[in-house]
Order: sequence, then C-alpha cells, then structure tokens
Amino acid sequence: MPSVPTAADPRFAEIESHRPYLLRYALSQLRDGQLAEEAVQEALLAALESLGSFGGKSSLRTWLTSILRFKVIDLQRRAVSERAHVALDEEGESADESWLDELFDSTGHWREAPQAWSNPEAALEQRRFWEAFERCLDRLPTAGSRVFFKREVLGDDTEAICKDEGITPSNCWVILHRSRIALRACLEKHWFGKASPVGG
Amino acid sequence: MADSVDCREASRLLSVAYERRLSPLELQALQAHLDECFMCRNFDSQLKFLHTAAQKYRA
Repeated sequence: MPSVPTAADPRFAEIESHRPYLLRYALSQLRDGQLAEEAVQEALLAALESLGSFGGKSSLRTWLTSILRFKVIDLQRRAVSERAHVALDEEGESADESWLDELFDSTGHWREAPQAWSNPEAALEQRRFWEAFERCLDRLPTAGSRVFFKREVLGDDTEAICKDEGITPSNCWVILHRSRIALRACLEKHWFGKASPVGG
Repeated sequence: MADSVDCREASRLLSVAYERRLSPLELQALQAHLDECFMCRNFDSQLKFLHTAAQKYRA
C-alpha cells in the first residue's frame, strides 16, 4: 500500500499525537485496558489507510474519534459475550466521605484555599498545558476518570452514564464532584501554581 | 431549612449544578455563601474552566 504514510511522514506523527486522547476515549467506553489499546491501534491503522478521505471539514481529532467509535462498538459486541459486565470499581464508593474530610476541616472550610488562577484561557493554547491536563486525568481513580471523560469531555447525559455504570445518580454526582476537585487541585499544583508557567 | 452553607456544602452544590438544576433554596444559600467566600468563588471559576477545557480537549 504505497499511499499509507510511514513513520517518516509528518502526518503519521500528527495522527500519533492524538493517541493519548483516543486511548482515554476508548477506556471510557470499554474499561478494559487491553481492549482499549486494541481499538485505538486498529483505528489508527484504519485512519492511516484512509487518510485520503479526510476532508478536513472536522478536526483531525473528531475524524479519528469517529473511526475509533466504530472499532469500539465492534469490540464491545465481541466482548459482551465473553465476560459479564464488570461492576464499578471499589473506589467509586458513595457513602464514604472521608475524602472530603481531607479537603475540609471540621468547620467545613477548605484546608487549602483554591487560588485565583491568572489568565487560565491562555493555558488552553499551550501544548504543555494539555500534557499537564492529561497527566492530571491519569491520576484520577479509574471510575472517576471514565465518568469525568464521558460527562465533561464527551458531554454524555448523566442518566445514560449512570445507567451504563450501573450506579445511582447521586453516586454519579459524587464521583464527578470528586473528580473535579481532584483535577482542579492537580492543575493548581502542577500548572497554575507556578509563578509563571514556562513553555508552550 | 438550611439557609447557610459552608465551603464543603457550597463546593458540592457548585459541582452538582452541572448535573441538575439547583432548587431556589439551594441557589439562595449558595449565592449567600459565594458573596462572602473568595475561596469558593475561585473554586467556581475553576469548575467553569475545567468545563471549558474538557470541551476543548474533545475537539
């Protein structure tokens, strides 16, 4: 296949640069790490082979995601028959509020005050911010990461997410709240906390 | 009725507002808290930023 870009082709690197996002997408849908890797690999190969049909009407990421979506559906279909639905991880517990005690003192005040972030919109234009963002996403508990991705990145309906995860709405809200608090703390520490974030 | 909330509760309300509509009482209590608390105002801005960032991350 002479038209398939090789590693030396700049388009190859560009497509590869979306791999972390695509993997998160696949993980949010499939839960199984190995299966998710497989889906992404297949999608990237398919994308390379049909790069000529990418018209640039949507962003490259959107186009890649639409290819991945079909791979995911395909793998889901195959996986369903192989194993029972895995219950939500133990870390997605709802009743336990000890994580809140770590963040708030006995009078309900923040132990560490959230800071005013200076010019956060500018961060969105910096490549290194997105690396920090991805590292912070990776630090979330698996269930938290998956639910946050579905809700905030994909914009899925909360009800659909709960149903898919097999949890109650209030449990879902707790997981989302916890994820947001963890993400903001991580970004504050690793990005906005610096006097002046370097690079871009 | 709870006519005053602490940071712990205010932050929870700020977050859950992305999932469901807050009741008038909740909104009132939350607004009263935000008027007094710069920490939760910062938290509020950060949630908005996370929301924007997550949507941009998708595209």
